[in-house]
Amino acid sequence: MENTNSFFSKNKAYIYTLLGLGVVGFIFVKYMMIMDWAYLFDFVVNILSGAGVSGVTTPPASNYELMVDTAFGYNYEAIAPEIIRASNERQEFIWWVFIGEIAIFCVMYAMNGRKKAVITNPNDQVQVFSLFHRGVIWFNVLIIITLIITGFNITWGLRSGGGDLPFLLRGMHEMTGIIWLPFWLLLSIIAFKDAKLLFNNSVMKKILLPGKYKPMKRVIYIAFVTMGAGLLASGIIIWFLHPDAYTHGQYIQFKRLLLYVHFGSSVLIMFFLMDFVYSVLVSVKGNLKGLITGKYPREHLEQLAPDVLADIDNIKGN
Amino acid sequence: MNNKPDFARMKFYCDENLCIDCNGCVVACKEAHEVPVGVNRRKVVTVNEGIVGKEISVSMACMHCSDAPCQQVCPVDCFYIRADGIVLHDKDKCIGCGYCLFACPFGAPQFPKDGAFGTKGKMDKCTMCAGGPEETNSHEEFEKYGQNRISEGKVPMCASMCSTKALLVGDANEVALIKTYRATTKGKGIATEAMGW
Repeated sequence: MENTNSFFSKNKAYIYTLLGLGVVGFIFVKYMMIMDWAYLFDFVVNILSGAGVSGVTTPPASNYELMVDTAFGYNYEAIAPEIIRASNERQEFIWWVFIGEIAIFCVMYAMNGRKKAVITNPNDQVQVFSLFHRGVIWFNVLIIITLIITGFNITWGLRSGGGDLPFLLRGMHEMTGIIWLPFWLLLSIIAFKDAKLLFNNSVMKKILLPGKYKPMKRVIYIAFVTMGAGLLASGIIIWFLHPDAYTHGQYIQFKRLLLYVHFGSSVLIMFFLMDFVYSVLVSVKGNLKGLITGKYPREHLEQLAPDVLADIDNIKGN
Repeated sequence: MNNKPDFARMKFYCDENLCIDCNGCVVACKEAHEVPVGVNRRKVVTVNEGIVGKEISVSMACMHCSDAPCQQVCPVDCFYIRADGIVLHDKDKCIGCGYCLFACPFGAPQFPKDGAFGTKGKMDKCTMCAGGPEETNSHEEFEKYGQNRISEGKVPMCASMCSTKALLVGDANEVALIKTYRATTKGKGIATEAMGW
C-alpha cells in the first residue's frame, strides 16, 4: 500500500512534471536543435554579470573580428542557423505536439470519464470568485485566446502566403501582448494568494510541498506565472528593442536569444493551458457555471475541490 | 558549347581603405528612394574611430547573398532572387514578422515603426536600385521600393555617388577585376591593399 505521507506521494505532481519536461527538454535540446549551447550559456552569464547584451563573449583579436562584431553582431553561427531551421521545419511540426497532447487527454477521458458532483442541496452556495476576480479571469481568457490566434500569424502566413490578414494579426499580437501585462500580473497575484510566498514559511516549502491547493493546480499556476513572465518579458523587449541599421550589431544576438525564450515559453504555456482546460472543464462537470456566477454548490466543492473549500473556510476562520 | 546564358551576379564591394565615412551613399540612397526617417537601407560602420592608422569604415547594405538566409527563413516566401543575383522582396506578401532580420548576417532588413501604436511595418531593404515585383518604373513600384535604376541601365545610386569610389557594384567578376587592378597597380590611379579588413 502506498504511503501517502512519503516524499514521493506528496510531491509526485512536481516530480512527474519535472521528469516529463526533463525528458522532452533533453530530446529537444540534444537531438532537435543545432544551437551552440556553450556559447548560449556564456552569453546568458555575460548578461547576468552586467557585461552587456551584445553577445560578444570573447574580445575581438583582430580588426577583422572587431569589424564583424560591430557591423554584424557576434557569432552568427551560434543561434541564427537554428532560427532559419526552426522557422521552416518546426512550424510544420508544432501541430503534432498539440495533437499528441489532445490524444493523451482523449485516452485519460476514455479511462477516467467525467467527474460530476452529486448535488442534493443546490441552494447551499459558496462564493468562490468575486466580480473583480471573475473579470480578471475572463479578460485573461479573452486575451490568451487572442494571443494564441494572433501568435500563430507566422504559421497562418505559411499557409496563406502572407498578405494583409497575417500582417494585421501580427500587429494585433504585439498590442494584445502589451495589454496582457497588467492582467497577467493580477492573475499571478490572485493565483499565488494561497502560497503566501512572502509571509509564511520558506519559498521552497510552499512551492514543493502541497498546500491547500492540489499540487497539479499549483504546477499549472507556477507554469502560467513563470512562462507568462518569460513570454511578456521577451515579447515586450523584442517589441521595444528596435535597433536601427547602426545599432543592429549591438542587439541582434540578444533579440535572437529572446526569440527562443518567447518560443519556448509559448509552447510550455500552451501545454499547461491545455492541461488546465482539460482538468477543470473537460474532466469535471459544473466548473464553468461558477466561473460566470462566482458561486458553487458547497457539495460540488466538497466532492471535487475540497482544497478550494478548505482554503475559503480557512480565510473565513481567520 | 555551353548554351546556358551567362548571367551576371550583381554584388556590392566596399573598399575600406577608401571609404572615408562621409555617408554620401547613405544620403544618396535615402534621397533617391525617399526612404522614411528611421529606416536606413545602407549604413557606414566605422571601427577604431579616431585612432590614426587603425580607423576603417565600410559601407554596408543588403549583400544580395546567393543563398540568402532571409529567403530561407521567410514564412510567406516574399523573397525572390533575380537571374542576375539581386535579392528582392514583395511587400504585399510581407507580414513584418522580422524573421529575416533574425536570420540576416548583415542586419539589412529594416522595419519602419509605422504600424498602429508603433508596431513594425512591412520590411524594407536595399533593392540594389532594382525596384520590386510591381510594374517596372511604375508609381506603385517607386512608392514601395524606390527607384528602378537597374532597368534603366544605371549604377545603383549609392555607388554612383561614392566620392572616393570605395563602393563598387556590378557583376562580381568585374568588381573582382577592379579590386585586383587597384591592388596590383601601385602608384597609378587608385591603389589599395590586396586584402580587406
